[in-house]
Amino acid sequence: MKRSVGNMISRTGIRIPLILWSIAVLYPIIWMFIGSFKSNAEIYANPWGFPETWNIQNFATAWTEYSIDTSVFNSLIVTAVGAILTLVLAIPTAYALERIRFKGSHFLFTLYISAMMIPMVLGWIPLFFLLGQFNLLDNIFGLAIVYAISQLPFSIFVLTSFMSTIPKSLEESAAMDGMSPYGVLWKIITPLSMSGIITVTIMNAIQFWNEYFMALIFLQSEENYTLALAIDFISSEAQYTNAWGTLFASLVIAIVPVIILYSIFQQRIAKGMTEGAIKG
Amino acid sequence: MRFHIPYPYFTGKSDWMVQSKKQKYLFLAFCLIPTFIMFSIFTLYPLFSGLYYSFFDMSGSSQAKEFVGFDNYIKLFSDEIIPATIWHDYFLVITKVIGIMIMAVFIAVALTQLKIKEAPFYRIIFFFPNIMSVVVIGILWAFIYNPDLGLINSGLEFLGLENWTRAWLGNENWALTSLVLPSIWAGIGLFMLLLMGGIANISKSYYEAARIDGANEWQQFWKVTLPLVWPQIKISILYIVITTLNGSFIIVQVMTGGGPNNTTHVMGSYLYQQAFQQYNFGYGATIGVMILVISLLTVLILQFILRRDKVEY
Repeated sequence: MKRSVGNMISRTGIRIPLILWSIAVLYPIIWMFIGSFKSNAEIYANPWGFPETWNIQNFATAWTEYSIDTSVFNSLIVTAVGAILTLVLAIPTAYALERIRFKGSHFLFTLYISAMMIPMVLGWIPLFFLLGQFNLLDNIFGLAIVYAISQLPFSIFVLTSFMSTIPKSLEESAAMDGMSPYGVLWKIITPLSMSGIITVTIMNAIQFWNEYFMALIFLQSEENYTLALAIDFISSEAQYTNAWGTLFASLVIAIVPVIILYSIFQQRIAKGMTEGAIKG
Repeated sequence: MRFHIPYPYFTGKSDWMVQSKKQKYLFLAFCLIPTFIMFSIFTLYPLFSGLYYSFFDMSGSSQAKEFVGFDNYIKLFSDEIIPATIWHDYFLVITKVIGIMIMAVFIAVALTQLKIKEAPFYRIIFFFPNIMSVVVIGILWAFIYNPDLGLINSGLEFLGLENWTRAWLGNENWALTSLVLPSIWAGIGLFMLLLMGGIANISKSYYEAARIDGANEWQQFWKVTLPLVWPQIKISILYIVITTLNGSFIIVQVMTGGGPNNTTHVMGSYLYQQAFQQYNFGYGATIGVMILVISLLTVLILQFILRRDKVEY
């Protein structure tokens, strides 16, 4: 009896920091949503409260005057092209590294994986000139290629570990029936790895949608800005224009797709990220 | 007929698909070469090329470069801002490791050991900032720190602590410290999950044995939980160190841009300033080489320090 009372007290005591941290996480995010519906005057008068009238003027301003529409479009293209290109490059390599014996396979795998630990900042300077030579500087497709290659090691790592769980007997019997290795890869392995492919793709898509620094370096003109750059631009403007409402609206536009993906694929995302971290 | 060819040694891979050597190599080439070429062009070449650039003076375009030997390195060692940027990076590393690990261990233990029924709710909420864009996090927190409107100063005023209010990000003494909180806020979730995975794998029998020996919950934590999740703790610390040294400049760039008066510049943001704002590409590459060396050395040393024999009971 004494033990259970003590237990109850300690459990309530444990809950307090958990609840406080939940508030610390949720409050700024909720507040950002609320702020996006407030006029600038209201943000000044009452920065942390509810708006008197909910209006969507901020979204309209962001969408038209700050051409967020173009940035959303650019971000969608970069995300989609980047995610698809990553898969096209990663799936065959992951399969070959996981299932085919050849000299240097271990070395190649180690090379890809260790690239996850290397600070790429050093490479960005030559990459800047390289993209310039290929006419891919200030070009969203150039950025999509850079993104795809940057997520290649992570994708190969997750896909190989996923493919290793597929039983070999399926490939063996398909090969006995006369299927070529290309057929096996496309018709057997790819569908069977679909769960891993989806996990990797969601992770990569979120990464590309959110990415800021490479976009800052490799894009220059405003019509090519991705959402992250457009928001950064609005933010630095807001220092002078005080257009905080518009800034919040653009933050909301950036975060809503991530929230939707997270609410659908919460477990996959959590698993994908922890797996990616464990290889370290 | 194609059969699995038995090999005298086991590698976990089979050669069932091989019809002829030629076909095998064609298929291998199809799988590996396009990817490797792209990887070489966009990752390997830029890294080695960066090393090469560090021996040149290049301002403006890549055509106009002049070999200067170790001049950039001499400049690096006499640049007064460089030691500050290194210190700022390590300040973020140390505060983040301590802050994140204490909170993540606490939350992970609370959510796994203490049978709280709303644990999945906390898990989902705490992880979410991990997938938010650094731009969103940075701007949100810049507003929280805003001197006039921000939550922190409003809260301090509400508590009657007007003397403590300040322009957090504009204050030379406080700007760097102010960057720690958003980094912890955004980082905890992943490590909480990592540690929860480790704790879930600990057999219940260890706790029963400890209880029979009269260990209270606190002792159980120190003697059972902590030693048995050591592998996860080690991975988490290494991961925080690597991602901070390789990426802390992103939040710095968004929140302060290195200011005020260089007090928040980290190595990466200084590289960005030198290379992409002042067009000293050669010197920027030299800073990049320094980041690479420091980051690899730190990881090596840390791996040596954290090396601790696996606990066996």
